[in-house]
Amino acid sequence: MGRTALRWIAAGNAILALAVALEAAHRPRYGGELRVEMRAAIAGLDPGAVSEDPVALGAQRQWMPLVFETLVRLDDHGRPQPWLATSWTHETARKIWIFQVRKNVKLHDGSTWSPASGSITIPDDRPIEHILRELAGARSAIVVKAEDGSLLGTGPFRIARWDAGKSATLVAHDQYWGGRPFLDSISIQMGRSLADQASDFQIGKADAVEIAARDLRAPKQRGTTIATTPPMDTVALQFDGGRVPAQLRQALALSIDRASIHNVLLQKQGEISGALLPKWLTGYSFLFPAERNLVRAKQLVPAPLSLTFGYDRQDAAIRPIAERVAVNASEAGITLRQGTGAADVQLVRLPVTAGDPWLALQDLTALLKAASVPPAASSYENEKALMESSGVIPLFHLPRGWMLSSKVKNWPRFEDVWLDPGAAP
Amino acid sequence: MARSRGSAVTFRTKLLFISSFMVAGAVALVTGAVSISTRRAFDAIDRERRQALLAQFRDELAARSTEVARRVELAALSRGVQQIAAGAAEYDHAQTEAASAGLDFLDVVEPDLTIISSAHWPARFGYKNDWQIAPDDWHSSDVFLARIPTPEGSVMALTAVRPVAGGKALVAGGRRLSPELLKSLGVAPGMRALLWLPPGEAIGAEGSIADPQKLASLIQAVRTPNGEATGAVQWTSDRSSSEAFLALPITRAGTLTGVLLAGTSLSTQLGLERSILRTGLVVGASGIVIGVLLGWWTTERITRPVERLAAGARAVAGGDLSARVEVLSRDEIGELARAFNVMTEQLLEQRDRAIQAERVAAWRELARRLAHELKNPLFPLQITIENLQRSRESAEFDEVFRESTTTLLAELGNLKTIIGRFSDFAKMPAPQFETVDINEIVRGVMKLNFQLERPNVKPVLELASDGTRIQADPDQLRRALGNLVLNALDAMPEGGTLLVRTALHDWGVRLEISDSGQGLTEEECQRLFTPYYTTKQHGTGLGLAIVQSVVSDHHGKISVSSASGRGTTFTIDLPASQPDPLAPPGETA
Repeated sequence: MGRTALRWIAAGNAILALAVALEAAHRPRYGGELRVEMRAAIAGLDPGAVSEDPVALGAQRQWMPLVFETLVRLDDHGRPQPWLATSWTHETARKIWIFQVRKNVKLHDGSTWSPASGSITIPDDRPIEHILRELAGARSAIVVKAEDGSLLGTGPFRIARWDAGKSATLVAHDQYWGGRPFLDSISIQMGRSLADQASDFQIGKADAVEIAARDLRAPKQRGTTIATTPPMDTVALQFDGGRVPAQLRQALALSIDRASIHNVLLQKQGEISGALLPKWLTGYSFLFPAERNLVRAKQLVPAPLSLTFGYDRQDAAIRPIAERVAVNASEAGITLRQGTGAADVQLVRLPVTAGDPWLALQDLTALLKAASVPPAASSYENEKALMESSGVIPLFHLPRGWMLSSKVKNWPRFEDVWLDPGAAP
Repeated sequence: MARSRGSAVTFRTKLLFISSFMVAGAVALVTGAVSISTRRAFDAIDRERRQALLAQFRDELAARSTEVARRVELAALSRGVQQIAAGAAEYDHAQTEAASAGLDFLDVVEPDLTIISSAHWPARFGYKNDWQIAPDDWHSSDVFLARIPTPEGSVMALTAVRPVAGGKALVAGGRRLSPELLKSLGVAPGMRALLWLPPGEAIGAEGSIADPQKLASLIQAVRTPNGEATGAVQWTSDRSSSEAFLALPITRAGTLTGVLLAGTSLSTQLGLERSILRTGLVVGASGIVIGVLLGWWTTERITRPVERLAAGARAVAGGDLSARVEVLSRDEIGELARAFNVMTEQLLEQRDRAIQAERVAAWRELARRLAHELKNPLFPLQITIENLQRSRESAEFDEVFRESTTTLLAELGNLKTIIGRFSDFAKMPAPQFETVDINEIVRGVMKLNFQLERPNVKPVLELASDGTRIQADPDQLRRALGNLVLNALDAMPEGGTLLVRTALHDWGVRLEISDSGQGLTEEECQRLFTPYYTTKQHGTGLGLAIVQSVVSDHHGKISVSSASGRGTTFTIDLPASQPDPLAPPGETA
């Protein structure tokens, strides 16, 4: 009996110890370096710079908030929330808005960011929703130029080293107004192919690497932690409008069997779309047709023709789609062949850079070198106008996927990410 | 020594040509014979080599076919292909299976040929297989050639089809008919194997052939029931790019699916032929040069004596019968030289004898003439004197005397005339040249001869207008012309036309005297200028001889042309000037 009791006591102690250990394991811990690899080659995080490389632009917009912050920030529903500005009001005529800024915000050099009179005055007679949306955009981030020419931000990480397009190191901003991040630093390796990233991940050289949407299933089945975003990349055909008439653009768009690509090549990841912006962002993407109509496509092609076709052959997600698009197009009498120089049509990956349609379209407009989007117009009209002016035919929206080592916790909110050293490798 | 060979080809030149042509001809014959025999030898060897290569090619193709069949069989049984057939694999998983099976192409298709997964063209999932495989071949265990579309274009492959999972799906796999297959044959230098594939592609060990259409005639030839064909293809404008081929068809169900070609470069053969030809040309040219030199040396040895003989002969022809040829050898040429010398000696002796005989004959002729000429007047003299003697006692003596003396005087006059003529001929003086107008002399002679009325003869003068002044002896010229005019008048007893014509030439003046009489025979023409020859009943035969003598003294020429019934024409060519008598011989004024 006594022996039984002792056994129960011992078991209870063991369970208690396990519970304590489990509790300790789930409690965020400070320290450690997060090693991240990506395909994008980001030149810098300057919010005012818009990269011409869509992949680099998408990554830059993703990583920029870690260093540079805005007065307001959009929440998951796209609603503006106070960030560096705690409140805002207007003068009587509603032509000047006054934003009260957060106190004790430290710049990365340790100095205090304190606008004169503790507020920022913005003369703007537009509705406050438009103003807030603009202020939430990356281009409105607070950037202070230091005496040495470097750019100082207020974000949870500061740039310790930036080798443009190759690698960078971000270290924790100890005096961050929201509290020091858990990570000591983030090491970023740029310009790495998906295959190299997967290899580095397998041998433990990276904690977080990108993974193509179509490849998500296999690592998941192996038990690897996979993190995905909502569809953040638009796969689209971009035509050289001067060389390819609208009729042929339409024929090519109608020849593409998006459903087969989505089902087989993308493993049903992402969504079929004829719109530039994904459904979760606008809700109206279904208004843009995405069905295949081969008969109509053939009618629009008077005689077999050949177009030069370009795509990023290093992009494992894009390449099979491009090959399938070429096969589909050949059915309509359009031969897509790879050529040198400027292609007649390219399969591109366009990033959704913001949680707000207008902001996202602004970046796309810059990326596609199209006419500026008038903010007053509806997003649908803006998007439609941008598609027509830029000669872009969207095909799919793809999520971004990450393979994470088991020690990475709280991904993808970097200010909250921490590393569990006890996690199994 | 003056030689008048003109443009005639010399014996030496002929000998040189003959020896050169013989050398060149011999070299050409040898070169041609060697070239032909070389070509035949090459052809025979090449044919054997090509046939051996084709046999090796066929064996290799058969081995590869067996290998493809085995690999496709293994692929069909693999777990990966089973998963693809069951729809439990990625759309491009066929790539993995093709790689592990060592196949270049692999399509896993549903029974209706819809592609489930394609190794070489993953993007074609959901489409129908279009390898142009015949319906029967989908259920055949054979290995066959199929044209497989790829994103880069269609290629030919050795292909096999096998069922998967009891026929729930089919797997079609193949290996590209690549240059590697042809490389593996290890062909000998100068040879190569080609594989022609319909509709018009040809591959070799180095890759695709640039101009497969040049094989079209060969491909057409192998379509015949005989099957095998040979032929040559010249790939570029350079003949050395020529290649001889032996072609063998690959057929399936009566359809030509490919052609094996074993080729041999003709560059070596052509190079050798060129080398032979070049050598032949060099040898031929050298032979000609050597032949020329040898021929020169030989002909020098042969023709020099011949030339000496020719020079001797020319000297003899020129009247120098004392010419002798040096005898340098004891061969035929030496014998000829000796014979020549004997001949000239004999000729000299004969000439001397002939001169002697001629002199005797001339004296005899002269005697005969003199006798004849003198006998004619002597006979009337004798008769007259006898009459005179008989009539001495008669009453008519005076009258007889008077008539007889008249006759005697007349006959003595005749004798005197005859003797005078002979004397004149014997004493022909040297001409005294002065500038005279030949036309004036012609007019003077005509006037003198036509003082008496000659109603039946019509004189015609066709005289050159100007420049008829020449250097001549006017008396001798007048006498010669007078003789010719008298002859012409004598030739026209029935009357006719006497034409005298003068004409200017570069060398002087031509004088023609023509009558319209009966003409002369050829023999008469030839003997006309012989002294004492005459066609007239009472002629002395000295008139034309005197004419010829005068013309000759004037360094001119006289000729006669005549035709029976059409008269006779005497032509005299006289130089405008006479040679300076003080000038050395051979020079003219």
